[in-house]
Amino acid sequence: MNERKWRIPSQIIRLFQAVGRASLLYDIQDSHSGNMALKHRDKKGREQLIITASGSQKGDLEPQHLCALSPNKTDFGYYKASSETDIHSRILNLKGINASLHAHTKDLVIATLDPERKPNHPAPFIPADPLGYQALGIIPVDWFRVPSGSPEMIQKIPQRLKDHSATVIQGHGVMTRARTLQEAFFLACVANNSGYIFRLLEKHGVEIEPLRKKIVSDSYSCFSFPAPYTLQDDHSCDFSHEEELVKEFQKTGARIFESRLSPFHTGSFSLRGVKTMFYAPKASMPRELGGPLLEKSLEKKNSDGYEEKIHKEIYSQSNFQTAMHCYIPEAEVLTHISPPGTNSPPDRLVPVDAEGSFFYLVIPILSSPPEMDSFLQLLHDYKVVIVRGGGVWAVGEQSLSEVLHHPSSVREICLYRLGARERGLDLGKMEPAKAKKW
Amino acid sequence: MPSEYGFYGTLLEINLTEGKINQKKLTPDLIENYLGGRGLATRILYENIDPSCDPLGEHNVLVIATSPLLKTKAPTACRGHMVFKSPLTGMLGSSNCGGTWASRLKSTGYDALMIKGKASQPVQVDIQREKTEIRPAAEVWGKDVHQTTDILSSQKNSSPSPGILTIGPAGENLCLYSAVMNDKNRAYGRSGPGAVFGSKNLKAITVTGKMSPPLKDKERFQSGLDQALYMMKAAPITKRLLRELGTSGLLKLIHLMDMLPHQNFQDNLHNMKELDKISGETLRESILERVGACYGCPVACQTHTRVGEKKGEGPEYETLVMIGPNCGIYNLKAVALANYRCNELGLDTISLGGTLACAMELYEKGILDKKTTGGIPLNFGNESLLPRLVDLIAYRKAFGEKLAEGSFRLASDFHHPELSMTIKKMEIPAYDPRSSFTQALGYMTSPTGACHLRGGYAVSLAFFGGTKEIPRFSIQQSPLAIRNMQNLGIIQDSLGICRFTGFAFSTEPWARMMSGATGMDFSTSQLQKISHRIASMERAFNLQAGLKEEDDCLPDRFSHESIGVEGKDKLISPELIQRMRRDYYQSRGWSPKGKLSTLIRADLQLNKRYT
Ligand code: SF4
Repeated sequence: MNERKWRIPSQIIRLFQAVGRASLLYDIQDSHSGNMALKHRDKKGREQLIITASGSQKGDLEPQHLCALSPNKTDFGYYKASSETDIHSRILNLKGINASLHAHTKDLVIATLDPERKPNHPAPFIPADPLGYQALGIIPVDWFRVPSGSPEMIQKIPQRLKDHSATVIQGHGVMTRARTLQEAFFLACVANNSGYIFRLLEKHGVEIEPLRKKIVSDSYSCFSFPAPYTLQDDHSCDFSHEEELVKEFQKTGARIFESRLSPFHTGSFSLRGVKTMFYAPKASMPRELGGPLLEKSLEKKNSDGYEEKIHKEIYSQSNFQTAMHCYIPEAEVLTHISPPGTNSPPDRLVPVDAEGSFFYLVIPILSSPPEMDSFLQLLHDYKVVIVRGGGVWAVGEQSLSEVLHHPSSVREICLYRLGARERGLDLGKMEPAKAKKW
Repeated sequence: MPSEYGFYGTLLEINLTEGKINQKKLTPDLIENYLGGRGLATRILYENIDPSCDPLGEHNVLVIATSPLLKTKAPTACRGHMVFKSPLTGMLGSSNCGGTWASRLKSTGYDALMIKGKASQPVQVDIQREKTEIRPAAEVWGKDVHQTTDILSSQKNSSPSPGILTIGPAGENLCLYSAVMNDKNRAYGRSGPGAVFGSKNLKAITVTGKMSPPLKDKERFQSGLDQALYMMKAAPITKRLLRELGTSGLLKLIHLMDMLPHQNFQDNLHNMKELDKISGETLRESILERVGACYGCPVACQTHTRVGEKKGEGPEYETLVMIGPNCGIYNLKAVALANYRCNELGLDTISLGGTLACAMELYEKGILDKKTTGGIPLNFGNESLLPRLVDLIAYRKAFGEKLAEGSFRLASDFHHPELSMTIKKMEIPAYDPRSSFTQALGYMTSPTGACHLRGGYAVSLAFFGGTKEIPRFSIQQSPLAIRNMQNLGIIQDSLGICRFTGFAFSTEPWARMMSGATGMDFSTSQLQKISHRIASMERAFNLQAGLKEEDDCLPDRFSHESIGVEGKDKLISPELIQRMRRDYYQSRGWSPKGKLSTLIRADLQLNKRYT
């Protein structure tokens, strides 16, 4: 079956293929799991529901694996379409919703399992990280006797998604709805990231319930919230004449995503020019999906978002040429784990691996929201700072590659430290003595 | 004597006209604001000179400064920095050198040395803690650098042995690109300091001493030192490459990057087989005897070589290319012998190569002929001419009189200044600016004229900067990238450390070592601020010396004759030059015309006198 027969525009096919591949890379699908759907108007103005075919491999979608259906009456396309098409079609009928995505977000699924006798009403999931809490708020969790395409699901899930951007099908996965397919994917990634953070916190003995209570009662004292997800054209580029820079930006964005330094379309990075800065507001950008590449005046404006403001602040007070912000889940977890022999949250991350401890004797940790002067001073002195509830910030003297190296190292340092803890090694002994008084 | 941590707080002032020697106090805030080396020397110079003076006249002043890191264990911290008004450019002359002399100067108990006036007869200065003397130098005047060094060393016969800084005949004869040499073969090469020595009738400065100031916080110093050494051991360039291949190992890499100049920068086309004959690898296999190191340097990039019976140092990359392919010459031994002779006579090999290449182009274009050159067929590739030409230049004999003035004056005299590949009348080093906008802008805005060291060594950022690698044709990234690179260079020159440490790490370990040595709190951000200040200080000097915006420019060739880079034709249009220059000024906080703002002038406290 070729593309023309399914009458699906090529840019939409490419979008599905790109999201499909990215979801495999981010490990929120298995070979055949999940499905995604998009509302679309064809050339004649007729509304269509475009959805992945049943049993299709999301990492290798061919044009024939996409079905263009009538949204409100059964046609031949339904033979092939996902078994969850009816759920998607109802979700897409919600006001302002154009896309929906179902993924096997394994970390979130594990985080929302419970041992209760079924049927039951599982507790909703409260993310303990700024991305999850901001983008998803409290996520409902439902148990279904038949957890795939069943009538209860057709009824319940769209209802849940009236008020929530994501809902968990217990033991199965997440369903998200959004204005675009990219946004739906973003929500699924963020949801899984929250699940991953929860799991690590639990595994490392952090008391989660008091933390969650605090988050619900006063989230602003726990988090530095990023700017909300925006729908800029992900292929727009304000500086396409700077071919080499564009390539650098694309490479950097892809690395952030593929190396899991920040979930899809989260974080930001920039390179400063003389009067302007080149700015990627959705740092984590798989190659085929991209993200907007903007050129912004370095002048501070009242209308600047939180993220943009910090980039400008860094540049106005330093000679750094690059800045980056990533939400590294492992780093967030470590900001909640008290150092050996203490009860209070840490003010520094001490690498225990050889390379990490050489490059960074310590990495400072600040609470949210950080006080700008000390944040900038620490960036100056350490080049990288972790903000509890606010991600990892780094700066570079010259290049994007240089600034990328910091979050990349931080993730590795965190993995080693967490790993050593899991093995029950005595971290107090492993930390260099100098790091304690640094 | 005031005693501070890391430095002594003493400047030795020598007035050659009056024969007077004075000690002056250097206050700690001078170190806080200008560090040492280049920063300290430039500040002292500014306060003691009229920048509009005649560079070869009595009123030129020459300052050499050390840094608080010298005489510590900081790796490569052996370098002195010399500033003066350059006879070649008419702007700030600024030259940096390794070897051992600067460390020995610090052993005498002085942080810096200032030479004023002009002796009526050739003299040498002998500095010791107890006594400094100005002595007649009749015995060594006219002798070459090696002979002078041997004679003065044998005269002193002291322990420790003296450090000897001297000029050769090129400096005595006021060749505008003559060098001041130490350890026989290490050069304060660029900007013509040799001619300034010569114009003052100053042949040599010997230093003997055993002093070193204490460190304030040994633990802090050590933590920076540990990190620096670790990184130098980890980075292949500092660990192995420079030692095994020397800087000449860059030759093929730079060619692969389409950046290697050919025949006075007319193109970048070379035959790989020809390049093989002069590469670092060939040097190692054919003429290298042993490697060597400057004082306290674990890198050891010096190449001690031998051609037949003749021994010497080099050639380094710049010499190799400027006297080699840029003159159409691909004969390693011929270049090495010319290099040896330049060291003996005290000549800057970059400007020498650039001047010869210009003369060759003038000759091949028929602007010069045998009549004007005194019968010399100045064709590209004519390697047999090299020994004779080097001598003619140093002694200003025959056509050497013209060549000793540098390529700009030579080409201008023959009405073709456009064939001089110079910026601010100084010859462009061995990287074609069309191959990297960043490097081009660095040459343009270097305070001393075309210099890859004072202008920022962007080449490393483009080709082997590791994580710091940047695109080489970004119009908008280049101004800040080169400014940052220049700032790093200013910090390195001011701390008395080698550029090559930059291949392993940036400023953080230095900030710690500097804080540990002095007890002052130096953060990386402070070092940045200081480097900005020093850049503006240098600009202030140049503006008073008559610098104009249009002097920060490239020769026309680079705007109108393209070369192939990665399969594309590349040149740098006048509009691009103007745009990048303006952006660069803005990145420094200067006006669109390159003038200093009131704010910067206030920070520099131009009316304040530290000395
Ligand atoms: S790296 Fe080479 S030039 Fe630099 S200090 Fe060491 S030996 Fe001297």
